Amino acid sequence: MSENIFEIKNAEYVYTGGVSALAGISLEIKKGERVAFMGANGSGKSTLLSLLDGLIFPSKGTVNAFGRELSETALSDADFAKSFRSKTGFVFQNPEVQLFCPTVREDIAFGPLCMGLAVEETEKFTQGIANELGITELLDRPPHRLSIGEKKKVAIATALVMDPEVIIMDEPTAGLDPLTTRHIIDLLIKAGQAGKTVITATHDIHTVEETADIIYILGRDKKITASGTPQKILNNASILMENNLIHMHTHKHGESEQPHAHPHLHDHHSHGHPV
Amino acid sequence: MIKMKSHNFIEKTIASAASLVKESVFSEGTASKKGLMQGLDARFKVFSVLAFIICALFIKHTIVLLALYALCILLTLLSRVNLLFFLKRTLPFIPLFSVLIAIPAMFSFFTPGQAVWSMKAGGVSIAITRQGLHGAVLFIARVTASISFVILLSLTTHHFELLKCLRMFGVAQVFVMITGMCYRYIYLFAEIIENTFMAIKSRAGGVIRSSHGHKIVAWNMAMLWNRAYNLNEDVYNAMLSRGFSGEPVSIHRFRAKTADFLWIVFCCVVVVLFFALDAMLSGRCII
Repeated sequence: MSENIFEIKNAEYVYTGGVSALAGISLEIKKGERVAFMGANGSGKSTLLSLLDGLIFPSKGTVNAFGRELSETALSDADFAKSFRSKTGFVFQNPEVQLFCPTVREDIAFGPLCMGLAVEETEKFTQGIANELGITELLDRPPHRLSIGEKKKVAIATALVMDPEVIIMDEPTAGLDPLTTRHIIDLLIKAGQAGKTVITATHDIHTVEETADIIYILGRDKKITASGTPQKILNNASILMENNLIHMHTHKHGESEQPHAHPHLHDHHSHGHPV
Repeated sequence: MIKMKSHNFIEKTIASAASLVKESVFSEGTASKKGLMQGLDARFKVFSVLAFIICALFIKHTIVLLALYALCILLTLLSRVNLLFFLKRTLPFIPLFSVLIAIPAMFSFFTPGQAVWSMKAGGVSIAITRQGLHGAVLFIARVTASISFVILLSLTTHHFELLKCLRMFGVAQVFVMITGMCYRYIYLFAEIIENTFMAIKSRAGGVIRSSHGHKIVAWNMAMLWNRAYNLNEDVYNAMLSRGFSGEPVSIHRFRAKTADFLWIVFCCVVVVLFFALDAMLSGRCII
């Protein structure tokens, strides 16, 4: 049986002011598993990722990571904090928050330096991840001179520079052009093949099949309403509809001289669209 | 077509403030050019500019100050900075820093001496003295040369390198790191201000009444404050996520080259020559 990296038991989270973000979540994430959290806006996906990264702690219930409960006390233990942070890489939805240094190089180097790596070693790591992601030419640029796609790549580099065991990404492809989206999906596929545990929160039903082995749907009640393989979840139109992941609409098909309009589910239809 | 109010104060203020912040704080375009000053280590540049400013402070002859200013212009050209752009960036600051002091200093009330122009108003004699005029010109020349060197330094150096130079003066690393982050997000907020203004303009149709404009500005200030507050928490979380434990870190290391040492030697020689020239003009000789 595979080792559990994360174990969440009846986790609830309530924001200041009494707004509930999660209402009793229980799940386990195994080593090397690729997990996607899906759901409508405000269903608690980002909050759940923050819990998994030990940035916030549950109001009720527990979150265990690498066999130890994630709590303020646990993360004030310098050794555990260092070990946990070096094993997990978190990519925020908004890359602006993750790029807080004056240059890309310093942003990427920030994590390794915080982990106590020497400058020479950090420089090697920085150059290595920059080569891997094809962002070498961006290293001496300030973050405000990057495009949104470049910012996202740099944000990913900042999280992956230490080669973490667990990669957590919040909306990795939101707002990106198709080519950058493809690069990021390929990166996630590669990470999965390398045995990394990949956890994503996404609305993108077009790519989730490639990046996840298991999907958890977070409902409006802030609980897990469905879970299963991508095939099982993506073929359940009613679940997807209920959670704003697909919608009914009309549109023109192909280059037909007599365009026809008809309602259908956006994702699963077979009308010979070019892929 | 909607007619725009060309004198709309709110419009001008918002748009200009945002672009001023972006242009004045970040001189990325000029700092990235391959020119003389851009190729030097920031620490050596700061040291040389300080030496030139001290030189300007102690020189007593306008002609020598003008020669110092000419050197600054020459360095500007060698650094491939557009001269017109450079003058536009420097000249507005000169009256700001000098006129309020220089104008009163010309008059006999403050600088008695040989009158070059005088008049009587209400029985009171007002005169501009030769000594006062000389003092004012000397002061303006000093300010001009000093500001020009500072602007040249800021145009040819990346803002983050300048911040790192603060460490030379014993400023704590944590202060340098926080200031660097502030700079980083000033740009983001300047962009938000610009975009917000564009959004307002697209909905308001181009003309915003002054009273309504005040409300918009006040609302935007509140909104920006709120965004800054939220961003603050997110950025801290992003730092925590990468293992930040309160200890400031930085990978940036200055690397001095032979050219930097040659530059410092050149600057020292130039400063000594300027002082010598100044002394010769005063009838003294130090070399």
